[in-house]
Amino acid sequence: MSKLFKPESRRKLAALVAIWTALVLAPFWMPLLGGYTALGTRVLVLGLAAMSVNFLLGFTGVLSFGHAAWFGIGAYGCGMILKFVALSTPLGILAGTLAGGLAGAVLGALIVRRRGVYFAMVTIAFGQVFYYIAFQWSSVTGGDDGLRPFYRQPLHLGIATLDILNDATAFYYFVLVCFALASAAMAFILRSPFGRTMLAIRENERRARFLGIPVELHIWIAFTLSCFFMAYAGSLYALVNNFADPRGLHYSQSGDFVMMAVMGGMRSFWGPLLGAILFVVFQDYVSSVTINWQIFIGFLFVLVVLFFPRGILGAIRHRVAS
Amino acid sequence: MSLLQVKNVSKHFGSLIAVNNISMTVKPGELRAIIGPNGAGKTTFFNLITGFFRPTAGRIIFEGRDVTELSPARRVWCGMARTFQVTEVFPELTVRENLRIAVEVASGMRLRPWLSQIDDEKIRGRVRELIDMSGLAAKADRQVGELSHGDQRATEIMMALALNPRLLLLDEPTAGMGDQETYEITQLIRRLQKESKLTIVLIEHDMRVVFHLADRIMVLDQGKFLAEGTPPEIAANEAVQTAYLGQAA
Amino acid sequence: MTQLLLFNITNGLIIGAFYVLMAIGLSLILNLSNVINFAHGGFLVVGGYIAYTLEPYLGFWGALIASPFLTAIIGLAVEKTLISRVYGRDPLYSLLLTFGLAFILEDGTRVIWGANGKPFTIPAALAQPLSNQFFFITSYRLFMVVVVAVTIVLLFMLLRYTRAGIRIRAGTLDLETVSALGVNVRALRSLNFAVGIFLAGLSGVLAGGQLGLEPTMGAGLLMPSFIAIIVGGVGSLTGTLVGGLLIGVASGVTAVFFPAASEAIMYVLMAAVLMVRPRGLFGEEGMLT
Repeated sequence: MSKLFKPESRRKLAALVAIWTALVLAPFWMPLLGGYTALGTRVLVLGLAAMSVNFLLGFTGVLSFGHAAWFGIGAYGCGMILKFVALSTPLGILAGTLAGGLAGAVLGALIVRRRGVYFAMVTIAFGQVFYYIAFQWSSVTGGDDGLRPFYRQPLHLGIATLDILNDATAFYYFVLVCFALASAAMAFILRSPFGRTMLAIRENERRARFLGIPVELHIWIAFTLSCFFMAYAGSLYALVNNFADPRGLHYSQSGDFVMMAVMGGMRSFWGPLLGAILFVVFQDYVSSVTINWQIFIGFLFVLVVLFFPRGILGAIRHRVAS
Repeated sequence: MSLLQVKNVSKHFGSLIAVNNISMTVKPGELRAIIGPNGAGKTTFFNLITGFFRPTAGRIIFEGRDVTELSPARRVWCGMARTFQVTEVFPELTVRENLRIAVEVASGMRLRPWLSQIDDEKIRGRVRELIDMSGLAAKADRQVGELSHGDQRATEIMMALALNPRLLLLDEPTAGMGDQETYEITQLIRRLQKESKLTIVLIEHDMRVVFHLADRIMVLDQGKFLAEGTPPEIAANEAVQTAYLGQAA
Repeated sequence: MTQLLLFNITNGLIIGAFYVLMAIGLSLILNLSNVINFAHGGFLVVGGYIAYTLEPYLGFWGALIASPFLTAIIGLAVEKTLISRVYGRDPLYSLLLTFGLAFILEDGTRVIWGANGKPFTIPAALAQPLSNQFFFITSYRLFMVVVVAVTIVLLFMLLRYTRAGIRIRAGTLDLETVSALGVNVRALRSLNFAVGIFLAGLSGVLAGGQLGLEPTMGAGLLMPSFIAIIVGGVGSLTGTLVGGLLIGVASGVTAVFFPAASEAIMYVLMAAVLMVRPRGLFGEEGMLT
């Protein structure tokens, strides 16, 4: 209990309270800034995806550039349940999460001995496999048009029904609860002894190995966990749009997620969420203003890499430390 | 009964023979120094013992068990710990965090998703112990990457110690240090041997440290075994003198 | 049946040759500088469009020769101003950088030349089929293979017999030592990158002649290049060569039996290689792992 009164703990607690207050009150302050609730929902889900990538990238030091694959599998899994099997939102989410997570576990086992640039290459290539399948297997996935129609189903909670299909605010809070669960799980893992071994691997793989940590096993576990989180985010995304898009599996989507994490600050837990907010706002604005918005995204990537590699939160932390 | 038996170990890198048929036996509680001119193959020898490479020939027996095929991580579990010539620690984490990870892994908790209050206290206690032993108490909450060379090395030695090894391998522990730091590290190593009853094998270039600490010395030259004996024996050994003086020319 | 098989294998080799040209440029850059050049497809497109722009003045042949050089110069400029700044850093940054560059190049092409496809005329002599028996091989496709073959041979000779080439090969294995020997590593990397982009530009011109020009044409060729490198083995140019031909032929042969799976077979091959021999067919253990 006495730990709570250390200045650092107090700062962290204050930041946490501020973040959650902002998130809980979003449907109220967003319209004041020209936003709308559905945008918030979208950003929240993409932020979760960015945090999932960062679980691997910022905290374990493993560069997966094909992570959108698990996002996409989650989306398609959820969509297919809702379209072909049962009109149940929770089942859709569960199915999507399991599908992506298990696929990730299998792939992870194949590639876990590789590192650095080669690892990234292989994750990109494998990600593309799933993109290709989504595109080609059009009888099931809808091909280029994507998977539709399916709709997120109202939740019957016993005492009341939450109409997440038609009520944007209700849906936002539903997604917020889902987000809270996932981010709590992530934080929990990162604080655990296992989470600390992830940090160890990031900091110095050789030393981790010579402490007795079976590095490949731990990387596989971290990889699999992040795939589960990613697929979970993907399932939510399918619900956001009532649609699953093959482009969501393309490596450029992976690149976007990585950029969100980097922009916000890879070493920080909330950095990727911040990065997602900035990225989505930027992208939406630019694509509404010009048809050649891709150039601007390209420049964003270049600028961040050259001038803001630590991301916003990273830069702030660095400033504070010195 | 020996703790470590290295039997006729060789390591070839293509046509380069880095280690050529070397054998070594270390008794429990002994402090053995390995010396030799640059390029003698000392670090490669260490790498073979700790599992960084597989030997091209020969076996490594630790506490009666053949560990030649085991990975580095498994050898750690068997009771070996090492430090490196270029200090390998977790730079962006604090000293305390570095040690905490070492202690948790050594306690078999590396896969735990959570810790009970009791376990947490035990671990904190052990970490405190190690910090006190090292003399780094004042700097315990600073990032290791920002500490002096000597402090980083001390942290690394403590991390190795946290693993409760029965054999500690130190690769040039005083490399790059000034007189004061060298003295402190030497004292630390001596304390470890006496108080923790560790068996220690170290590679060193600083002869003061070697003659001050070692029970026995082994000399390597160009990958081959040259001599072995007590410090007085080695000091008097002509072949050893030639090897060193010859190199200096 | 054999006629069909032959047709598809030949087709496969032709496609494979093309993949090889792209993949080798990518491989060169990867091996020496540890950079995955996502923008390689973008440079292909630029090469094609530059040729298109030059054609009215220099004709097909002039454009074919000039365009890769011009593209390489652009590549050199990009390397010196942007890519060289991230060499020492975590590979993450070079990935993101080339990623962003890919966007800029593709959209830039759209801005300069318009979003619609452009035709690229090849000399009439090349457009004829080779003969009635080999009706499926147009002279142009044969020409492409010849250009690729000549280029690859020249490249391998360059790497074997010129000082710069030897340094590049040495640098791939141990850049530190090469640097310690007094070689200007920065210049070496720049040269290497320029050579890689030259090959990308050349691919663009050749592709343009075959398929016409479109801003998006580069992206689709990036993946086969990746796979060629993975299959052939990271760190080995010979491996990339074999890998490219292999996936081309595999694709061609599969088209006979399972037309729909002819693209998928590349990924299957890659998965198989990764399971059975993770370092690739010609890869060295420890290269970039």
